[in-house]
Amino acid sequence: MSVAWQFYISTVLIYLGVDVMACWGLNLQFGVAGLVNFAFIIFQAAGAYTAAVLTLGPAQPASQGGFQQYVGGAHWPFPLPILAAGLVGGLLAALVSGLTARRLRSDYEAMVMLVVSLIATSVATNQVRLVNGPNGLALVPKPLATLVNLSPIDYQWLFVGITAAICVCVYWLVHIVTSSPLGRTLRAVRDNEQAAAALGKNVTGLRMLAFILGGVIAGISGAVFVEFISAWSPGSWLYPETFVYFTAVIVGGSGNNLGVMVGALLVPVGFLEATRFLPPFGPPGFIDALQWIVVGALALIFLWFWPRGVIPERRRRFPLAAKNAAQHEVPVRTGE
Amino acid sequence: MNTIVPAIGFGIVTASILAVAGVGFTLQFGVTNVLNLAYGDIMTAAAFIAYLVTSAGVSVWLALVAGAAFGSVFSVLLNRCIYTPFVRRGTRLFGMIIVTIAVSLIVQNGLLAIFGASFFSLKMSRPAPVHIAGMVFTTVQLAIIAIAVVAMLLIHLLLRYTKLGKAMRATAADPDLARNCGIATDRVIDLAWAISGALCGLAGVILVMNVTAFTDTTGSQFLIPIVAVAVLGGIGQPYGAMLGALVIGLTSEVAAAIFNPEYKDVVAFVILVIVLLARPQGILSEVATRKEVAA
Amino acid sequence: MSDLSAPVLAVADLHREFGGVRAVNGASFTVPPGRITGLIGPNGAGKSTALNIIAGALKASAGTVSFCGRDITGLPSYKVARRGIIRTFQLSSEFAALTVLENLLVAAPAQRGEALWQAALGKRYWRPQERATVERARQLLARFDMSAKEDEYAGNLSGGQKRLLELMRGLMANPVLLLLDEPMAGVNPSLARRIEQHLADLVGEGLTMLMIEHELAVVERLCDPVVVMAQGRVISQGTMAEVRSDQEVLDAYLIG
Repeated sequence: MSVAWQFYISTVLIYLGVDVMACWGLNLQFGVAGLVNFAFIIFQAAGAYTAAVLTLGPAQPASQGGFQQYVGGAHWPFPLPILAAGLVGGLLAALVSGLTARRLRSDYEAMVMLVVSLIATSVATNQVRLVNGPNGLALVPKPLATLVNLSPIDYQWLFVGITAAICVCVYWLVHIVTSSPLGRTLRAVRDNEQAAAALGKNVTGLRMLAFILGGVIAGISGAVFVEFISAWSPGSWLYPETFVYFTAVIVGGSGNNLGVMVGALLVPVGFLEATRFLPPFGPPGFIDALQWIVVGALALIFLWFWPRGVIPERRRRFPLAAKNAAQHEVPVRTGE
Repeated sequence: MNTIVPAIGFGIVTASILAVAGVGFTLQFGVTNVLNLAYGDIMTAAAFIAYLVTSAGVSVWLALVAGAAFGSVFSVLLNRCIYTPFVRRGTRLFGMIIVTIAVSLIVQNGLLAIFGASFFSLKMSRPAPVHIAGMVFTTVQLAIIAIAVVAMLLIHLLLRYTKLGKAMRATAADPDLARNCGIATDRVIDLAWAISGALCGLAGVILVMNVTAFTDTTGSQFLIPIVAVAVLGGIGQPYGAMLGALVIGLTSEVAAAIFNPEYKDVVAFVILVIVLLARPQGILSEVATRKEVAA
Repeated sequence: MSDLSAPVLAVADLHREFGGVRAVNGASFTVPPGRITGLIGPNGAGKSTALNIIAGALKASAGTVSFCGRDITGLPSYKVARRGIIRTFQLSSEFAALTVLENLLVAAPAQRGEALWQAALGKRYWRPQERATVERARQLLARFDMSAKEDEYAGNLSGGQKRLLELMRGLMANPVLLLLDEPMAGVNPSLARRIEQHLADLVGEGLTMLMIEHELAVVERLCDPVVVMAQGRVISQGTMAEVRSDQEVLDAYLIG
């Protein structure tokens, strides 16, 4: 296989990894817990920013040849920046869910989150001192690049491996949540929070947990992305990107991790990449506009015909009676 | 000090545009329980219709009518063909948000595809400045204020004195009861969307009358202040929206004059956030709590 | 134990307004153990409001609620539920996208695997207890003749089946006190009789219940004692026979 093809395929695989992780995180918040986080992209952006500055080091003042102004920075070795990104994503999520203690109606809340993400982007773009304004950050060193001396294409494949390994870790996290009694309780809260509370479930705490976990995953996926493309700019993290992820989750099958993978493959990767091979036609930006129209139409079509997605949430069945079933005592209430 | 008085003038103009837009937006929510996030993009579309009309050499007043008519028809069709079917299907509330955002993306990018990414402006006769009480208005701006005042008056008369208006108020106050009593008929809902859609289209045209140039994202950028206006006044409450428009229009312009003009939108956002944290049902509260917007 | 005389629940001088309307206006009553206490009264008497206050879904503006001798006034609903007061809803509130069996599993108290760290420990940690819970759920399903619907999505059940699910889910939670909000409302007569029978069986097993009910014949058969509310206050308490002959009660039902 030619080197050019290898570059292309490895890049697509890395993008796929990033998108799949992001979708798993969003699925945890939206598909499993029923939270409509339309500011999702901001958590990804925050994680990416954290990883970028923790690899890039502190901003150099212009007198020493620095040309970027931004907040924070250190020179941490891989994989610390990525872990830190997850932490930041989680903290931000904790902050946001802590502030919205007053429960708003779900579509109202979604709209608020959307507005939040719009303003965050606007502030980041306008305030140059914060995150270097619209230009963002560049020249972020790639992880392990100085440690291993590889040709560019071999390094690509190494990065694919790194991405895959991180994907496996993220999958483990979402899997233990969704397949355990915790996942079942989260889905119950999603379906009817009043009834869940009446059965003793701490709805606020559970929601916050799902939100924070989703934020951690978003941060990690953003970090992987930025380490790969070595640059970060506010323009990459606009609200339509969140919408793409939502479409992916809806198309793939919300509530189902495997389905979400399919959605990530079909929508952000498959669909948006597929147009790369089309010959350019129409005025500049025409194809991009068409892409977005199709994404919007896809969302509508799938919401209408297959609201549960290509691979819907699995119906959980339980195997018939096994022996030793009565070994564990059922907790008895004493009215404490 | 002498930056504030002209700022008040700008504030009145902005408030006029916000009032027309905000009342339309809040009516759509009040009567049909849909947060129509495509609203800003429909405004842009109406602006483009007005652009086409004025480019053909027709007077801008006709362009206003054309824009309002377009907004009206488009909104009714949108509700009939997309929103209502999804709602009838039992799509949950956050599903509806995704529907409205999908429509917003389609409309905005449709405009981008058709017209391209450049900037446009309405062809109008050169506006002359008018000085009133220390504030400077152009004739265009005075026309905008007049249009807004007339529109608000008409809405007031509609809501207070016509059967349709009463039906709309009843549906907004208690949708289930209205449905059971046969008040919230399809006809009432269609008319409500027609009227609010006309306001949307009208707002879109006067919005771009007030700027030097507009593009495909102009309307959707205006959505934040519109939402802030609607929420501040109590979502679903048209009179609240009028009040909210005054508050936000004036404060954002005055704040921009005193501080940094780039942060006009941020003022609206800050107000929105404060209201949502402190009193999500807005100033004129009833409808919001009855629709359980805030727990 | 049903021979203890201390009341399971004691409500004292409850008050609650809604925008000027006094929904509950100084209500006091007690719920003895091991029996079904009926809560009756004309429409608008404040019964549902009182129930919601007890369950923690609403806050009282004044008054106290004590459960097994401990004050639980003002606790949020999930904490009230964790102490052993489980309520059912008048409008079916099943978890629609979960199966019937899963609906019951969710209700089981103190499950291993519900906290994140427990989930992280993996299936070997929480599976065995879950199997026992599944067995218990299946026994409950068999008792209510719903075994065939075990894997059905709860949202697809008929109205009557949802009612039964509501009741079973409440029982899965191992309640000390079960609050029933019109459990037979809108249900066909034969199903209503079945539910009645189930409730009678449960009383026989020693479960304490507080039930809002409109059909006085049912109340007469099942409930002892009966609490009568009208206009936000308790106007009578006692056996059905006693309450029936109370003049104030007769007046309330004629007027209200």
